[in-house]
Amino acid sequence: MRRRRGSAAADDDAAVIESSWREPERFAVLFDRHAPHIHRYLARRADRQVAGDLVAETFLAAFAKRDRYDLGYADARPWLYGIATNLVGQHRRDQTRQYRITQAAPAEPEVPGHAEKVAADVTAQAMRTLLAGALATLSAGDRDVLLLIAWEQLTYQEVARALAIPVGTVQSRLHRARAKVRQVLAGTEAGATYEELTKNE
Amino acid sequence: MNESSRPMNEMELLRELAQQTPLPAPAELAAARARLVAAIATDPATYATAVAQVTTDQPAPSPGQPAEPPRPPAPAPVQSAARFMYGGAISSAVLLIVALPFAGDVKGNVLGHRLTPTPLIITLVILAGLAVIGLWLWMARVTTQGRNWARILSTVLFGLATLELLSALEAIGTNGVAQAVITALTWLSGLGAVWMLWRPASSAFFKSARAARSRAPSQISGP
Repeated sequence: MRRRRGSAAADDDAAVIESSWREPERFAVLFDRHAPHIHRYLARRADRQVAGDLVAETFLAAFAKRDRYDLGYADARPWLYGIATNLVGQHRRDQTRQYRITQAAPAEPEVPGHAEKVAADVTAQAMRTLLAGALATLSAGDRDVLLLIAWEQLTYQEVARALAIPVGTVQSRLHRARAKVRQVLAGTEAGATYEELTKNE
Repeated sequence: MNESSRPMNEMELLRELAQQTPLPAPAELAAARARLVAAIATDPATYATAVAQVTTDQPAPSPGQPAEPPRPPAPAPVQSAARFMYGGAISSAVLLIVALPFAGDVKGNVLGHRLTPTPLIITLVILAGLAVIGLWLWMARVTTQGRNWARILSTVLFGLATLELLSALEAIGTNGVAQAVITALTWLSGLGAVWMLWRPASSAFFKSARAARSRAPSQISGP
């Protein structure tokens, strides 16, 4: 939610960040406030050990560019989730690159859908295989939107701010992602399991 | 419809599965927090805060001495702006050295025709160059002190430097490429400084510095 400048509550995120411009140690308040949730988000998307590193990098990056924070936003969560999401993407690309390097010599074997496998690997730690497989079929952008909304309960506007995309794009990506997940789940052998799960009986 | 028998959609399924990931224990965040604290400790603003703390911990001035108002430390963008200004001072010094051979070539800028280099003209060019260098250094000093007028003056001077850059580019054939390149570098220093001076963190700094100065008289006249 955007607020008018000058109307900050004394302890909202924007006020903490503003004070950290002069007193950097104040930034630790932001860590104590949001790090557990950012960590859990990263643990869901990667794994718990990687999440520890990524949450540190998220807050280090945020601290380094805190002077660019728009104080019109009282809640810094979308900003932090945006940084965390970028780092997850970077981590995933690094993993894929590493996977390709290890497969390069002596002769690269045909690994069907290894990118999907990597994507599944980094999410399966926190999710059942059924849903991880469906998520792995999504594009990175669609997956980011879906998970920020489904897991972190961000609004369309907050996701738009986190990923620096228009709200309309958030809506279209979410629609596409949901349709794809439904389609994949319905079209696999796990479809029956999915049907059972969705009955909620 | 009975809520318990309603089929879950994929969003609800995702949320339910996500509940299986608990929040981390404090120990899991300890390493990340330690890295952040280490980064905070090495931040220039932290150093400035420590210096300011030491300053304010000094004994109060004797009754006859005017009290120096406590000044907020300059944030990183203002310090970067000051560094850009020091860079501008250095490139201005280089420009002065490069421009000396052309000291007599002040046609059109002063009298509309070419003058013969005389000791007086050369002296004036050197003095003007030194004044420019001094201006860079002075601006760097007063902006880190939180003087808002210095920020505005720096911006105006940058506008003038832009005009100088245009004239230098026009005079490439006359005074050489080196002079134009150095002028461009000087201009880039000004651009960087002005950019940093108008960052949100810088604006907050100038605002708080002004507030600190405005509080100072009441502190001095207090009991």
